[in-house]
Amino acid sequence: MTLELSRRDMLRYSAIGAGALALFGLAGCAPAGSPAPPPTGSTPTDFAFGSWSLSEDAAKPTVQAAMDAFGSSKKVSVSGVTYPYNDYLNQLTLQVRGGQFSGAAQLDVAWLSALAALGKLSDLSSLAQGRGYTSAGLGAGQYDGTQYGLPWTIGAIGLVANQELFDKAGASLTPETIEEFEDGLRALKGIGVIPYAASTKAAQLKDIFVWMQTFGSPIIEDGKTTVGDEASVKAAEWYKKLYDDGLIAPDVDRAAARTLFAQGATALYDDAPVGKSAVLNQSPDSGLGDKMTSMARPVLKKGDTPQHVLWGHLVVVVDGEGAGTAAEFAQWLTSDEKQTVSYFEALGLPPTTDAALASDAVAANTYVSDFTTRVTATAKPSPLWVYPGYAQMETAVAEQVQAVLIGQSSASDAMKAAGSTISGLIR
Amino acid sequence: MTALDARALASASTTPRGIRRRGRVRWGMWITLVIIALFTFAPIYWLLVTSITPDALVFRFPPTLWPSEITLDHYAEVLGNPAIFGYLRNSVIVSVITAILSVVVSMYMGYAFSKYRFAGRKSLMYFVLSSQMFPQALLLVTLYLVFAQFGLLNTYLALIISFTTFTLPLCVWMLKGFFDALPDDLIEAARIDGAGPWRIFHSVILPLAAPGLVAAGLFAFVRGWNDFIFALTLAGPDKQTLPPGLVNTFISEASTSWPALMAASLLVSVPVCVAFIMLQRFLVGGITAGAVKG
Repeated sequence: MTLELSRRDMLRYSAIGAGALALFGLAGCAPAGSPAPPPTGSTPTDFAFGSWSLSEDAAKPTVQAAMDAFGSSKKVSVSGVTYPYNDYLNQLTLQVRGGQFSGAAQLDVAWLSALAALGKLSDLSSLAQGRGYTSAGLGAGQYDGTQYGLPWTIGAIGLVANQELFDKAGASLTPETIEEFEDGLRALKGIGVIPYAASTKAAQLKDIFVWMQTFGSPIIEDGKTTVGDEASVKAAEWYKKLYDDGLIAPDVDRAAARTLFAQGATALYDDAPVGKSAVLNQSPDSGLGDKMTSMARPVLKKGDTPQHVLWGHLVVVVDGEGAGTAAEFAQWLTSDEKQTVSYFEALGLPPTTDAALASDAVAANTYVSDFTTRVTATAKPSPLWVYPGYAQMETAVAEQVQAVLIGQSSASDAMKAAGSTISGLIR
Repeated sequence: MTALDARALASASTTPRGIRRRGRVRWGMWITLVIIALFTFAPIYWLLVTSITPDALVFRFPPTLWPSEITLDHYAEVLGNPAIFGYLRNSVIVSVITAILSVVVSMYMGYAFSKYRFAGRKSLMYFVLSSQMFPQALLLVTLYLVFAQFGLLNTYLALIISFTTFTLPLCVWMLKGFFDALPDDLIEAARIDGAGPWRIFHSVILPLAAPGLVAAGLFAFVRGWNDFIFALTLAGPDKQTLPPGLVNTFISEASTSWPALMAASLLVSVPVCVAFIMLQRFLVGGITAGAVKG
C-alpha cells in the first residue's frame, strides 16, 4: 500500500484547517456597535427569553405563565432559553458573543458588567422612566452610566438568624457593634450550636468583602483597590479569630450554611431572601419559617452605617431580531403592578417598584418586610462588579483569606497579595 | 529461575514458617481487597441511601449509615418526569452513534498506522494524539463558533462530531495496539490465497479484532454518556443529554434536590453498568492488547 499524502501535504491541509478555524472564530468575535435603545412600538416580533429560573421547578410555572401571558397579549411567541444558574453566565456570554441569542435575558446583578462589556446590550433608559422603579433597583441595572438592565427583584445579602436559638442563648438579635455581635456568638457557642455559619470555603468567601467594608475599607477607591489596607487586614484578622475560637466553622459555603441552618445546627448565616425556601425545604422543623428573622449587620463603632451587598435579578435586552418586543416584555415583567405582585406572591422575591413594594401582599410578608428595612435599606452593589473580571478578583481574595484561616499566611501578607492581584486585573 | 531455586522455594513454602508467611500474605491481600472494595462501593452505597431518604432527613446530623425512614418518592419523581426520558433518549442516540462512528473511523486509521508504512506515519500518529492535550474550554469555544457558522448548533450532529473528535485519538491508539498484536503472517497468508486489501481487513483481521472494537466502542460510548459541558453548550434545550439535563432539573440557584438527583443518577447509570457487565471480558483484553510488546 502506498500513501497519497506527503508530510508537506499534511502541513498544507493543517494550515488550511487552522486558517478556516481562525476565520470562523473572528467572524463570531466581531466587535459590536455602541448601545442603542431597542425599537419599541413597532410590529410585535417573536423573541427569546433567557432565564435560569425556567429550569427550576419552583419558579418555572410562574415565569412560563408570564411569558405565555405576554406572548398571547402581543400575539407573538416567546421561546425560553435556559441553563442551570451556575453555568448560565458562561453559556449566555457564549451565545451572545457568537450571535446566537437576541431577546430578553434574566441576569444576576453581579453579572451586568461582564455581559455589558460585550457591547450587545440595549440601552433601556427610556423604558426605565416613569415606571416607579426604586432608585436602588435602577442603580443595580446601570453600568458605565447606562441603564442596561431593568430590575426584576432586588434585595441584599444579610444575616439570617434563628430567633429561637438566639433566645435560648440569651444573645442579642440587634447587636450594634462588632463587640456586641461577638458576645452574642460566644453565648450561642455555649448552647452547642455553630454560632455563625459564615462562609469559609472559597466558593462564597466573597462574603468577607462586606466585613472589610464594615472595618472601613472601601475595597475600590478612585479606580484603585484598597485591599491590603489596615481595615482589610483587621477584617481578615477578626475572621481568623472567629475561626480559631470556634465561632465560625471550616468548609462552609452557602449551600452548607443553609443546610446547617435548616437542621438547627447553626443560629446565623448570610443569605438573600431567595434562600428562605431552600432552607425550609430541607428542614425537619415545620415551624422554622416563623423563627427565621433578618438581622442588621453590626458596625465597627456606633453611628456607622451597616454594610450590605446588593443582591437581585435584572432583565436585559440583547440587540437583534425581536429586541424591541423583548424590551417591552422586560418592562412589563418588571414593572406591571399586577404581574410583579403575583410574582412576589408565588416566589417571595422582593419587587422593584414603589407601588408593588407598598402592596398588601408585600406588607403582609413579615420576613421580606423586615429584610427590606433592616438589610436591603443600606445595601450597595459590590465595588468590584464594575469590572468584568470581578469573579477573578473575588477568587483571589477568597484564596488569600483561606490561607489566613488555615494559618498558611498572615493577614497582612495575604491581603497585600490579594490587593496586588486585584490591581493587576483592574489594569 | 533455576531448578535449584524452584526446589528451595517449594521447600520453604511447606515449612511451618513458610506456611505462616503465606497465611500472612493471604490475610494481607484480603484486607487490602476489602479496603479497596469499601473505598469503591462507599460512594455507590451513599448514592443509594441518599436516594431513598426523605428530604427532611438527608442532612440530619450526625449522619447515619442506614436511614431510619425509607421512601421511594424520589424514584417516583424521576420516573414521573417525562423530561428525564427525553434526556435519556438523547443520551442513547448521541452515545451509540458516537461509539459506532468512533469505532468505524478508528479501526481504519488504527489498521493503517499498524500495518502500513508511509511518509510521516509517526508524526501523524502523535499529531492525532496531541489533540488530547488541548484544554477542553478552548476546544469548546472553537467548536461552538464553527458549528454556529454551519448551523449545527442544537443538533445531534454537533454532539456526535465533537464527542467523536475527542474519542478518536485514544480509540485509534487503542486499536493500533490491537492490530500490532495480530501477526503479519495472517495478512501474508490471506494475500497468497488471493485476497485483496479490503477482503483481508474485513474478512480476516476484523473478526480477530472484535474485542478491541468492543473496548474502543465502550470507551467512546461512556465518553458521550458522561459529557456535561459540551452537551450543555452545543445541544440546546431539545437535544440535551442526561448530565446537563439532570443538573437543569435538580440543581437551582438556591438549592439542590439531592435525593432526586441521586435517584436519577442511579437509574441512568444502570444501562452503562449492564453494558460493562456484558462486555467486560472484551474490555480487559481490548484495552491491554499491544500494551506489552515482544
